Amino acid sequence: DGVAALPAPQNLSVHSINMKHLLIWSPVVLPEEKVYYSVEYQGEYESLYTSDIWIPSKWCSRTEGPECDVTDDITATVPYSLRVRAILGSQTSAWSILEQPFNRNSTILTPPGMEISKDGFHLVIELEDLGPQFQFLVAYWRREPDTKEHAKVVRRGGIPVHLETMEPGALYCVKAQALVKAIGRNSAFSQTKCVEVQGEALPL
Amino acid sequence: MKNVLRWDPPDSLQGAAVTYTVQYFIYGQKRWLNKPDCKNISRTYCDLSDETSDYEHQYYAKVKAIWKTNCSRWTETGRFYPFLETQIGPPEVALTTDAKSISIVLTAPDKWKRNAEDCTISMQQIYSNLKYNVSVYNVKSKRMWSQCVTNHTLVLSWLEPNTLYCVQAESFVPGLPRRAEPSQKHCISTLEDPTSALK
Amino acid sequence: LRRCLAFVDMRHLEESFQGIKRAIQAKDTFPNITILSTAETLRSIKPVDVCCVTKSLLEFYMDRVFKDHQELKPQALRTISSVANSFLYMQKALQQCQVQRRCPCSEEATNATRMVYDNYDQLEVPSAATKSLGELDVFLAWIAKNHQKTSPA
Repeated sequence: DGVAALPAPQNLSVHSINMKHLLIWSPVVLPEEKVYYSVEYQGEYESLYTSDIWIPSKWCSRTEGPECDVTDDITATVPYSLRVRAILGSQTSAWSILEQPFNRNSTILTPPGMEISKDGFHLVIELEDLGPQFQFLVAYWRREPDTKEHAKVVRRGGIPVHLETMEPGALYCVKAQALVKAIGRNSAFSQTKCVEVQGEALPL
Repeated sequence: MKNVLRWDPPDSLQGAAVTYTVQYFIYGQKRWLNKPDCKNISRTYCDLSDETSDYEHQYYAKVKAIWKTNCSRWTETGRFYPFLETQIGPPEVALTTDAKSISIVLTAPDKWKRNAEDCTISMQQIYSNLKYNVSVYNVKSKRMWSQCVTNHTLVLSWLEPNTLYCVQAESFVPGLPRRAEPSQKHCISTLEDPTSALK
Repeated sequence: LRRCLAFVDMRHLEESFQGIKRAIQAKDTFPNITILSTAETLRSIKPVDVCCVTKSLLEFYMDRVFKDHQELKPQALRTISSVANSFLYMQKALQQCQVQRRCPCSEEATNATRMVYDNYDQLEVPSAATKSLGELDVFLAWIAKNHQKTSPA
């Protein structure tokens, strides 16, 4: 009888940016009471093959909420159902279930942060470290009429990577986009950044 | 694929004249097998590379201690899967230089072999998508950059003359969660620029 | 098969399995029996049969192993769920791939799969499921090896 007294959390939704997935909900507000929450999930496999099984979230089996980082729970590119309930002492509310199952392939991918520098004639790029799921497609070219654009896949961010050996007197431009193989998608390109190499241009 | 079983002596018998005997088991086979030259040994390791050379099989090993007339129970390893668990050593790194460039030649590490005259198998043959991460450090500018390389040669051109560069490389296999072991640092200086001497 | 499973993050799958491998394999008390028979079965699969065997073994794990295995520890439960849902994704990717290209099942491929089911049925269900889970690293390594050419530099 006491179970129904505690209201269930409402307005569940998932905010997902760059493969970081945050489940949020409206808190249950009770005067002078500390309400906790418990989050569970079910992948499409469970819903098809073992529908009675719900799995406790890695980080939010008992959390102060009203949000939960479910990134380590959502580890496959299939729809996931998520549910939350409130806990007050020994009371637990009914489960609130996310209206639409969440698939990580809907995550928002932002253009990566990018720093370019040179060491002598060597063009070096360092991309934002967005985590192990991310690779980067880097496009670079020499700024001159009908130049050819080159592309290179960089396996991870956070370390300086050699891009090109430049010729003196030329201007080189670079842009990059994030790639997430696990969902088969990529971000928009970053802004273009250019760097110039001193020295006389080579005789043609 | 050099696979060595190691263990610690029993706490209670530190310094005593303890000997050890090792056996191994091929997962899916029927019986534990003896390792003749690891029977009643006093060292605390046993090279099982030969017995585990088929890297696509999985293995267990166990060891027991013998002291005077007493015999301990066996201590057993978990299941060992060489193909996934062996560490891939760094490539050999050879550098040559001229005034403005350094040529790097990488040679994949070799698979362990019992005798020097046995035929050599490169780890590249086992992991055909083996790649290398090459890090280059300009000692003068204190700048470092890295490059992912698939083939065995890399030429760094348009370098600064008369400058010391240090190169380090590690092998890795995409897709397999494995710690990479970097090579030693190889340093070499680019030569004087002959043209600058003329100016 | 090479392009079909290009979007599967094998590294994450293997890393998460490594986390529970020791615990799962320690529960396997029949080291003289294998389900996937490493050397005999998977290694002898010809390239033309890889698609069919992959599809069959994904079904084997999803229809039998993951359902039969009773798991209580949350970390193991999460890892098995991660693998199961990734296998479901792979199965869908293979099905889409099959629309464009054939996924033939030769007699050898069918026999190889039947041997796996026969090995499984040799044991009590809980033991068979635990043993099959303990051999996931073999299956994952086999999948990675058969579609490794698609991974970028």
